[in-house]
Amino acid sequence: MPRVQITVRRSIAALCLLALAAVARDGAADRELADYRYFRALSVDLLGRPPTAGELAALDKPDFDLNAWIDTHLAGPAYASRLASIYLDALRLEVGPSFQFVPNPLVLRRETVLGPDGAPIYVYFRRGQRRVDPATDGDFCLTHDETGLSFPPNAPSLGFPIAVSQEVLDAKTTLVKPWWLYGDYRAALPSDRISKDWSTRFPSFVPVPQLLVEPDGKTPTTAVRVCKEEAQTADTGNVYVSGRPAPKKGEPPPAGRLTQPPGDSGFAKATKGRAVSCLSGTGFQSSVQCGCGIGLERCMPASGPQFESAAFQLPTHTPLGLAFDASPQPASTWEKLWWSEEAKRFLLKIIVDDRDFREVLTSRATEVNGPLAQFYRFLAGATCCGPAADAGYAQPEGVVDPGAVPAALVPEDTATWLPIADRGPHAAGILTMPIFLVKYGSRRARAHVLYNAFLCKDFVADSVKLAPSDEPDLTKRAGCSACHQTLEPMAAFFTRVAESDWTWLPSQLFPASGCAKAPSSGLCKQVYDPAFHMLRGAYASPAHVEEGPPGLAKDIVDAPEFAPCVVENVAQSLLGRQLEPEDDAWKTQLVKTFVDGGYRMRTLVRAIVTSPRYRAGNDVRR
Amino acid sequence: MKRENYRQGASDAKTPAESGSGPILFFWRLGVPGALAVTLVFGCAAPAALAPSAPAPLPPPMVAAIDTTPKERRRMMPPEVYLRAYLGWFGGLAPLDVQAKARGKNMFDSWDDYLAALGLPDYKVDLPRQSQSNTLMIATLGRLGEALCVRAAEHDLHGKTPAAARVVFAFQPVAAPDDAQFAERFDVLHRLFLGYPVRLAPSDRAAHFFALYRAVAAQHAGKKGPLTPDETAWAAVCTALVQHPEAELY
Repeated sequence: MPRVQITVRRSIAALCLLALAAVARDGAADRELADYRYFRALSVDLLGRPPTAGELAALDKPDFDLNAWIDTHLAGPAYASRLASIYLDALRLEVGPSFQFVPNPLVLRRETVLGPDGAPIYVYFRRGQRRVDPATDGDFCLTHDETGLSFPPNAPSLGFPIAVSQEVLDAKTTLVKPWWLYGDYRAALPSDRISKDWSTRFPSFVPVPQLLVEPDGKTPTTAVRVCKEEAQTADTGNVYVSGRPAPKKGEPPPAGRLTQPPGDSGFAKATKGRAVSCLSGTGFQSSVQCGCGIGLERCMPASGPQFESAAFQLPTHTPLGLAFDASPQPASTWEKLWWSEEAKRFLLKIIVDDRDFREVLTSRATEVNGPLAQFYRFLAGATCCGPAADAGYAQPEGVVDPGAVPAALVPEDTATWLPIADRGPHAAGILTMPIFLVKYGSRRARAHVLYNAFLCKDFVADSVKLAPSDEPDLTKRAGCSACHQTLEPMAAFFTRVAESDWTWLPSQLFPASGCAKAPSSGLCKQVYDPAFHMLRGAYASPAHVEEGPPGLAKDIVDAPEFAPCVVENVAQSLLGRQLEPEDDAWKTQLVKTFVDGGYRMRTLVRAIVTSPRYRAGNDVRR
Repeated sequence: MKRENYRQGASDAKTPAESGSGPILFFWRLGVPGALAVTLVFGCAAPAALAPSAPAPLPPPMVAAIDTTPKERRRMMPPEVYLRAYLGWFGGLAPLDVQAKARGKNMFDSWDDYLAALGLPDYKVDLPRQSQSNTLMIATLGRLGEALCVRAAEHDLHGKTPAAARVVFAFQPVAAPDDAQFAERFDVLHRLFLGYPVRLAPSDRAAHFFALYRAVAAQHAGKKGPLTPDETAWAAVCTALVQHPEAELY
């Protein structure tokens, strides 16, 4: 018995000595491998990188407060970026070359002609620009006789160039100090020409070298020569009717043109002389008084006459918000880049500010920088109004009220982001952002991706054999109805947003039901559905048509599946695995935490990363 | 008779004596009369009635906690995390600057060649994020790791950069280190790339890496190159750590 007591005492003493030695070793805490792995996982998910040597040294200290560390880093940009990537992966809000945004009203193409001294000069013009002279109406403003060249659409000029006289140049063109060369282009005498310091003032704004020098490749461009009609700055013009008779079959175009000049549209004939907005495509097509505005701010430059010529050096990959490459890209890529950045920034802000996550779908606020402000104020209307002009729609109404966009931002100011508190009554989170509306061009595609990303549900076809059917109502057609009974009413919320576009179809001009009397007109064929005599997409739920995207946003966030879906998306991403039936109780608990916490991500993520599932769930080899 | 029957009935079985059973052996040795006598003595001495013991609660059931949560293998580090770490290990440079610095001697092409292989999604073409590794990805990580470690060795070790400005090899190098000297320096790299001290790693890890170090140093001994044999050996150790599965998983 005494021998046993001695042994126990010796063991206790040895353990105490060991413990003392452990504590004495630079005051280090006795961390286990699991502690380091947990800390590394937290660092990866909350800091966006593995821990540094300094952070590991801090962890080694016995007084290291891991909970405080977690709270600190649940507010950083890397954490927000990690969370945002969950929804960006689901929504993939970028568009590639398959979506073209090259409207003629916006693109200032460039031809090269010989100047009075015989040296080449650039002249900018818009294809389709209305001019009074039938020799140049809708085409380049200098004729074959004046230049010796023919100008085929979207291709280099043909022929043997002759020097254009100074008189002709003065009569038909003018010099402008454009926005892409001058930061103060709106001033009476612009002087803030693009320089080296623009790379810090306006990062990412890098025009291609061809836009910065004259044709000799050396002389810096200080002003650009533009056709006079394009240089006009009026906000409105009068509808122009040429009165020219339609060309007879086989009749050659006038003045050596390669194409016939445009005829007078039905809209022009019906509204001759009336004011039309120069910000709309309709104004561009029907008025000779509409130009590119002050400093050409309503247009985007191109370095050639082609359909899309290079304009800016842009990255094609920005995985960390940083440029990993740069190559010459057309102006449309510039627009697409910033549409995408708007959505990313919107999502990040909600996470960084720990706002109610439902705002992703419901908020009417956003932030814009210079390129986005230029788009919303001057460019967005260019796609309006097509056949809708026949219904008198010539003043575009976008999903964003241009009056709400800060006027102080210049187009090249990529660095300054200013808030728009209220984009207008049609706005609803990402649902009405240009990138969402063009990425998911059709009403059904828009509804489907939201159903999938925010309700975690998908459409699965039933097993009914498809048979030929002339039933136009997909909610009734056999084989289609299983999915479309849900999809069509959701899609109806987007009835008033043009497909692959952001143009709003206002109810005053476009009643939900119409076109019963003249179903074969252009308007009725394109805007209305002849099968139902209703706006396209409206038939399944006329009530949803008037609610618009905000109605769908409300329906989704009020759905019982919304909060569980957010929890599922976030938990699965952080755990790196699907949630299993064994996780149901935990998931229910997380949903309660998320909802009780005001739908804020920080509460949810904290609950996940401090749970044993996160700490030990990925350690099957331990 | 019983004994005989017993033996006949179970010829292969062992006798109680053979099997060594205690009480049976005791009665066996006494024989039948003796056994009866003993039984009588103990039977007469027994009390008339056994007093019931006081009721006692059952011992509490032993509860064994079973972890039923689903387990998975370690997850792949998001490529954004790898890139951010990579840029940090390169001294916090911008991606295009890293590309410029890492190029040379055909060690690095352009980010364009690597980004998709790392598993990044490409939203423009609806290419999803890769959730599992593949051979191309592993090869890419290896190539990136090699470029990093060689450039870092040039900067930190060969360039005699002050300790505070070193980005990867944040230790004082010694020529031809012994076991202890290597282990001390290896721990710095181990923490940087794998996130924990080498003392918690499998016990033979340091020895394996030291063997690699010695092999590379020996291979480059006496040869002219941009790095000394020791520096080349550290670059090799660094490369092996960057490519270690634990560096790419979490």
